[in-house]
Amino acid sequence: MDVLKLKVNGRNYEVETDPATTLLEVLRDKLFITGPKVGCNTGDCGACSVLLDGRLVKSCITNAFITDGCEVITVEGLAEPGELHPLQKAFYEHYAAQCGFCTPGMLMAAKALLDENPNPTREEIKEALAGNLCRCTGYVKIIEAIMAAAQELREKRSMIARKEVS
Amino acid sequence: MANTLFYRAADLKEACVLLSQYGKKAKILAGGTDLMVAINRKLLLPEILVYIGNCGLDYIRVEGDSLIIGAMTNHASIVRSTLVKEKAPLLLEATKYIGSPSIRNMGTIGGNLVNASPAADAGTALLALGAKLNLVSVSGVRQVKVEEFFTGPGKTVLKPSEILQEVLIPSQNENSKWAWYKLGKRKSDICSVISVAISIEIEGNLCRFARIALGAVAPVPLLAKRAGSLLERQNIDKTLITKAAKAASEETTPIDDVRATAWYRRKVSETLVKRLLSQILE
Repeated sequence: MDVLKLKVNGRNYEVETDPATTLLEVLRDKLFITGPKVGCNTGDCGACSVLLDGRLVKSCITNAFITDGCEVITVEGLAEPGELHPLQKAFYEHYAAQCGFCTPGMLMAAKALLDENPNPTREEIKEALAGNLCRCTGYVKIIEAIMAAAQELREKRSMIARKEVS
Repeated sequence: MANTLFYRAADLKEACVLLSQYGKKAKILAGGTDLMVAINRKLLLPEILVYIGNCGLDYIRVEGDSLIIGAMTNHASIVRSTLVKEKAPLLLEATKYIGSPSIRNMGTIGGNLVNASPAADAGTALLALGAKLNLVSVSGVRQVKVEEFFTGPGKTVLKPSEILQEVLIPSQNENSKWAWYKLGKRKSDICSVISVAISIEIEGNLCRFARIALGAVAPVPLLAKRAGSLLERQNIDKTLITKAAKAASEETTPIDDVRATAWYRRKVSETLVKRLLSQILE
């Protein structure tokens, strides 16, 4: 057992774990952060997606020890407790979840996209979700939700910018 | 269960020393997108993991006549690189649809090669580009051509004491033309059913050299040497393209698997080589 230092959703943790474990195992089994899901466990389905130092990764095939000293954001860290991130709100309003198993990963993939590209086309959204599989809704509502959230985030940003100017 | 030992090598020298010490017991960990899958599936439990993410192997630069890419460079960096776009657009195109965005954020060019999947997209593209690989160990560096690197599914000439350090891609000139096609069951997040990479140098219709590579149609990413040599020093026309495409298909030794049958792969190899060569000539 070795000790791993991690910052998850703004909190610092020290975890004892075996180096052959994955980031997903550390998050779920050691830290009880269960938003990221165990789906395929082979890097295909995307239900375990998290942000690692701002980059979208599949935590089920990310070795835990290479994340030593890194910052991880899971779906739990998208918004302050008790609040919803514009993406979460849009998923809710556009019925973008059925069983909900893929949703935490979808939200993180969408967050990674909007951080880099605040005004994506439908095609760019599809590309960004290429590693996230949903077997219920068929993606259309998910794409609509992301379009709506992107718009809300852009409006919020320009409002803040206007306030700063005035 | 034995506890795996984890080493974060501070530089390439330390990584080489660790490998010379532990040999086959040690596994190099880069992005982990293949290795961690094997561990999750319990196909593998390495005694020693040597992580090479801090060894300064993440770079893309031009040196003399070559584009040099460090083994730890991830696919996302390659897709974003203006140097790769300018010097080796074929590699960029092939890398665009390796895995999915999150896989490309972690998976590395070195891992794609060392994992030695017969369907490796970067491997197939680098074969067509005539790339060379620098392999390093405590006893020094040796260079091998990509077509000599793969020896079978999951097998390479890499010794247990060696690490793939970097990929060297010879520069293209104004007569260099290329084409790439990945055939998968869907566009993204999928292993190739077949991939074809072609790099040729052509003046007017006269072909100076041609390299035709195919993925997922043989135990290794395949360089169709006979097909290429049919085109070299010849004026390329429709008849010759048809001949070369047939030759390429005959050089394949595909298998039936979950993605396609051997029969289909042979047929489509011919179709795709023909299509890509015609595209280049247009």
